[in-house]
Amino acid sequence: MPPVHKDVNPKQRQYEAMVRALSADLYRFAFWLSRNESVAQDLVQETFLRAWKNLDSLRDAESAKPWLITILRREHARLYERKRLDTVELDDTVPEEAAFASPERSGDAAQVRDAMLKLPDKYREPLAMQVLGGMSCDEIAAATDQQPGAVMTQLFRARQRLKDLLGGRAAAEGGRK
Amino acid sequence: MNCLEFRRRIGAEPRSRAPELLAHRDSCKDGCAAFWQRAQRFDDDLEAALAIPVPEGLVERVLLAQATGERRRQMGRRRAWMAMAASVVIAFAGVGMMWRQSDLNSLPALAVAHMPGEIDALSLTRPMSDAQVEAGFVGRATRLKGPMPAGVTYVRDCTVGPYPAVHLVTRVGDEPVVALYMPGKMDTRFATFERDGWEGRQMPLPGGTLVVLAQRGASRGAMDAAERGWRAAIEGPAAQTVGQI
Repeated sequence: MPPVHKDVNPKQRQYEAMVRALSADLYRFAFWLSRNESVAQDLVQETFLRAWKNLDSLRDAESAKPWLITILRREHARLYERKRLDTVELDDTVPEEAAFASPERSGDAAQVRDAMLKLPDKYREPLAMQVLGGMSCDEIAAATDQQPGAVMTQLFRARQRLKDLLGGRAAAEGGRK
Repeated sequence: MNCLEFRRRIGAEPRSRAPELLAHRDSCKDGCAAFWQRAQRFDDDLEAALAIPVPEGLVERVLLAQATGERRRQMGRRRAWMAMAASVVIAFAGVGMMWRQSDLNSLPALAVAHMPGEIDALSLTRPMSDAQVEAGFVGRATRLKGPMPAGVTYVRDCTVGPYPAVHLVTRVGDEPVVALYMPGKMDTRFATFERDGWEGRQMPLPGGTLVVLAQRGASRGAMDAAERGWRAAIEGPAAQTVGQI
């Protein structure tokens, strides 16, 4: 995809490159955090707007994704606070159909997604940070103000819970021979 | 590292490439390599499943929101700068008007503005008598304390702006020099000025203010002589001596 402008300042170039490189991962993380497609899009947009304002604090490209995920988690927490005060939720845990409207809808991927949606927040969030954000236990621990050991336990249990939810498939793949 | 520890860590971080994990995987004979393989497959599936389709145009919407916000901020900043520049211009204009108003009311400006009405007095050459000159000062309720300067050709009590004044013209050599004495106008400033074709000096005296004027090009000596003469006449010899100390 070509850049919007060729003659833009370095900050704008950095920002555009970051959006192009990381918006997909960030959207997916936002979706698994909020379990809602439109909320996820709003979160991504808010996160990048906030990132633009604070772009000077980003020192190296490697830390861009964890940095954005940290911003997004804060935005999500803010949104959750507002929603809790403003509205009465009937059921916001049901994912939108559009999110899964792809050929992968059927089969194993769909089962894994369904299982993922059933995971409690405390397991789903660190697992998404690890799988989609590529963050290590230490990085997740730093971002969530927890001890690395606690994060490791959550990640272990998240996978165990997923395998439980997936039933026979988990027994075939995750069980000890 | 034992098998339990290995499986606990791989269960939490299947993608870890920690050397001790890889070493155990490669050396264990209790099925840890197979466990590692299953964990990798599980995470492959997990990654694939979590990689849901991204809405079309997401990148463009993000960039558009940023560009729009940035443009709005720029416009806001530009408006703020323009408002600030306008404020500065207005402030300068106000200060300029105040300065001009103040300048128009200054004694040099009032003295020069007074001159056109009595410009013909500069062409008079017949000396006036001491009594006539004395009468001009008496009209302003003041008396001369020293000797009368020679060559006085014009005397009249008039007003310079709001100030009652004695208007005098003295011929020094062949040059007319104007003296405006404003009794009761107390000012501490001594100033020289040039404006509208006139050169002048403003000086404080004990009982008022004296302004000496001559048309541009007049000799400095003529103005000096007129100034000395009128100071001596108004202040008197004693005051003149004290003034020189």
